[in-house]
Amino acid sequence: MKALERHRRMTETWASDPGFKGWFSTVSHTDLGRMFLVTAFFFFLVGGILAMLIRAQLATPHSAFAGPEIYNQLFTMHGTIMMFLFAIPTFEGLAVYLLPKMLGTRDLAFPRLTAYGYWCYVFGGSMLLFSMLFGIAPDGGWFMYPPLTGPLYSPGINTDFWLIGITFVEISAIAAAAEITVSILKYRAPGMSLDKMPIFAWYALVTALMILTGFPPLILGSVLLEVERAFGLPFFQAELGGDSLLWQHLFWLFGHPEVYIIFLPAAGVISTVLPVMCRTTLLGYGWIVAAAVALAFLSFGLWVHHMFTTGIPHMGLAFFSAASTLVAVPTGVQIFAWIGTMWKGRPDLRLPMLHILGFFITFVIGGLTGVMVAVVPFDWQAHDTAFVTAHLHYVLFGGFVFPILAGLYYWLPHFTGRLRFFRLGELAFVLIFVGFHVTFLAMHWVGLLGQRRRISTYQPEDGWTVINLISSIGGFVVALGIGIVIIEVILHAVAARRSARNPWGAGSLEWAMLTPAPAYNFASLPHVTSRNPLADNPDLAVELAQGKGYLAAPSRWRETLTVEVASGKPDYHVIYPGNTRLPIVMSAVTGIFFLSLLVKFYWTVPVAVIGVAVLAWRWVWELGRKDDLPAQSIGHDVELPNTVAVDHAPGWWGSLFLLTANATFFGSLIFGFAFLWTVAPGWPPPVWFEPSAIELGLGILGGLVAVVAMRLALRANDRARSPLPMLGVAFAGTLAVAAACGLLMLRTPAPAEHAYGATLLVMGGYGLFHAALVSLMVVFLIARVSRGFTSPVRRAEFPIVVLWTDYLALVGAFTLLAAHLTGYLA
Amino acid sequence: MTDILRILISPLVWLASFSAVYGLHGLICGHGIEGDVLGFPLQRVLMVAAYAAAILLQVMLVAGLSAQRFSSPSAFVRFVSRVTAWVGLVATVWSLLPVVTTTYCL
Ligand code: HEM
Ligand SMILES: [Cu+2]
Repeated sequence: MKALERHRRMTETWASDPGFKGWFSTVSHTDLGRMFLVTAFFFFLVGGILAMLIRAQLATPHSAFAGPEIYNQLFTMHGTIMMFLFAIPTFEGLAVYLLPKMLGTRDLAFPRLTAYGYWCYVFGGSMLLFSMLFGIAPDGGWFMYPPLTGPLYSPGINTDFWLIGITFVEISAIAAAAEITVSILKYRAPGMSLDKMPIFAWYALVTALMILTGFPPLILGSVLLEVERAFGLPFFQAELGGDSLLWQHLFWLFGHPEVYIIFLPAAGVISTVLPVMCRTTLLGYGWIVAAAVALAFLSFGLWVHHMFTTGIPHMGLAFFSAASTLVAVPTGVQIFAWIGTMWKGRPDLRLPMLHILGFFITFVIGGLTGVMVAVVPFDWQAHDTAFVTAHLHYVLFGGFVFPILAGLYYWLPHFTGRLRFFRLGELAFVLIFVGFHVTFLAMHWVGLLGQRRRISTYQPEDGWTVINLISSIGGFVVALGIGIVIIEVILHAVAARRSARNPWGAGSLEWAMLTPAPAYNFASLPHVTSRNPLADNPDLAVELAQGKGYLAAPSRWRETLTVEVASGKPDYHVIYPGNTRLPIVMSAVTGIFFLSLLVKFYWTVPVAVIGVAVLAWRWVWELGRKDDLPAQSIGHDVELPNTVAVDHAPGWWGSLFLLTANATFFGSLIFGFAFLWTVAPGWPPPVWFEPSAIELGLGILGGLVAVVAMRLALRANDRARSPLPMLGVAFAGTLAVAAACGLLMLRTPAPAEHAYGATLLVMGGYGLFHAALVSLMVVFLIARVSRGFTSPVRRAEFPIVVLWTDYLALVGAFTLLAAHLTGYLA
Repeated sequence: MTDILRILISPLVWLASFSAVYGLHGLICGHGIEGDVLGFPLQRVLMVAAYAAAILLQVMLVAGLSAQRFSSPSAFVRFVSRVTAWVGLVATVWSLLPVVTTTYCL
């Protein structure tokens, strides 16, 4: 078959629906990656406009431009949009677009989930935009500290928009992170062992794992605060056994890792682009991987450095101060590896390289002021001044915006298939770089002179006037620069010359394809033997197009393969689902759930929940098949079993990482319970929970029965006996767990009167929810068995339910023990 | 997956022990635990014991990941997991150093 014929037939199978309607049904990572990036950039502009409004207000003393109410909304929305709606989604978009191409495969692990995540992001973001247009935007600062944001001091709907909107957006982050993790671990070209992965994939893997463990504490915090606001359960009210410091712990348990979640992908871009700009290979690949891992973990041990001024005992402060100074080491290792790379190569000052240099200078300064505020006595002086705002912009703008601009210019030819023609980018870079430093150097200075952050106005006598004016002018220069970037990108897309296939002379696989990328990425999948496959074999693209790789035969299915995690040896054959509107519909229904909570229209909540359950059922039902698929040939004399016929199907891996996130959520809840118990004033509670050996036994035993029965069901299926009886037993077990958790909720003493009862109620609710979920899964499996979707060969769905059942039994037991044992202790 | 675990385990154990020691510190100060052991204040003894246990764990991990028996067949993973093992050890010693240098509940 000719390359062109193969291209035509593959495109038929893989193409999204034509035209504008195709946006709503596409599940292609190329489309969705672009959509993510465009939307995130849109939010960057919105956040940027807000920044300009802030700077306009602060430019002069006694400014009458915006009053304090509006100003509060401005900086809150600026911070929130930049962090949640620009930075994280930009990473997601970049990873979604690039990873399969860099890893030499055809799509991500769960294409429909990509789409679902994208639409959740769009709908959640729209909620926040809507609130801004109507002047009811959140106004408690981007970290939303109670008691300010509690029901007493912020009674309006503003705060609810934040808590609910951001949680909705967070779903998309968790979805993307689970997907990215599984994709990197399993969806790679044959032969690509861990040490041959492109460095960006390592960064993305570490970042995704951090999202899975970093975001749940915030989601928990948001849920608790919203429950406090809506139903009066006092988690953060000191008089009633709560503690507003609990919020700070939960928030920063998320918030500090968040900074690295933003920085690491940017570092991944640098590690990818820099060697190409220097015409060499990356120095110290292994060291960089180790540094990224170290940074990820260390960043989880720093959260209290945002709380140095809250009266925590010295030893506690010293722990976090010490850990905070430590992160400088892996960051330094990366910086030195990059400098070494430049040393080794011949740097070429092309546009991406300029932004990389901008990154270096800015980020290093930000890191140094970071070490300054990690020193407790200094922080006591600088806390909540413009010095801190200046520091955080050096890190965020320097550590994220510059690298992303470098990446934008680097991959632009990949997105469009064109080469830059107008040389506006250099001018834009100079404006952005100079403007940025003028703005924020000035802010360091005025901060040291005592200007607090988040103030809407100041007096001429304060002596800050000139500095603020300079800072504002700098801000507008940055805006001008960004404006020129936009103009250039638009010009580029419509009027530039076609580019050759690999314009930068890069060695990674994303350039071994047509640009703009075809829907199927690679007509046949490469066999990877080194870290820079394209550098080793410049003809690779042509060979793949001619079908010399794996899976070259066009088929009516969208096919790819997975590999063993460590060795990169092909292990399963994968068939993807096709275009569908299911994701957008499901995220719309999810949106109804959140919207109902927001406007306190509670009777639509159960409707939405049932809606999501029904759609989720359909979602999974569409997969799988009723006949045993024989092992599939992927070419080069290799045959692989299909994923319906294996123990650890992609769905199992996805569940594993979702459960990791879930367990972090639960762990944070337990932490909250222990924290309130030991630290909060207002304990012990007036009434304790009345323990009951029967309920406790029922729940724990129910969980155990479900666990054992699921395993027996799996075994029965393997041995060609009917698994139905054991599935029935497992179902009964989950019902027992549900009953025990339900009773716990019913009998919780006065949840609105003390945080003890409130926490037990939430824990019971968590257990009940999972019991319901797992029983639904068991029912699903029963339906699948009855309809002939399973056989001793097609067994992949059993291990997935086993996994969830195990989790249920564990958290059920934990919850019940926490409630009943505390009852006994008292 | 075992290889990924080899890379992650030491920092993970650091994170767990760091949090545990911080939690222990919270417990000691929150519940006003007092007393003395052989003339040393109980609070300090508990903290130092936890610190020592955390270090011991990390030393074992360094030793384990350096040993032929537990290390990865892949040279790359061997290298990275040994580096992260040392990261875990150094981080434990350094970040929990305040256990022996500062006051505990002030
Ligand atoms: C030209 C670009 C930017 C300018 C001129 C700018 C300006 C400002 C100013 C003046 C404040 C302080 C408001 C106050 O405390 O009264 C602020 C806060 C903040 N900015 Fe920016 N910013 C820019 C870009 C960014 C970017 C790219 C990010 C993140 C990726 C970001 C994240 C934040 C955050 C998190 C806050 C804190 C909000 C709060 O206090 O709740 N900014 N920005
Ligand atoms: Cu931090």
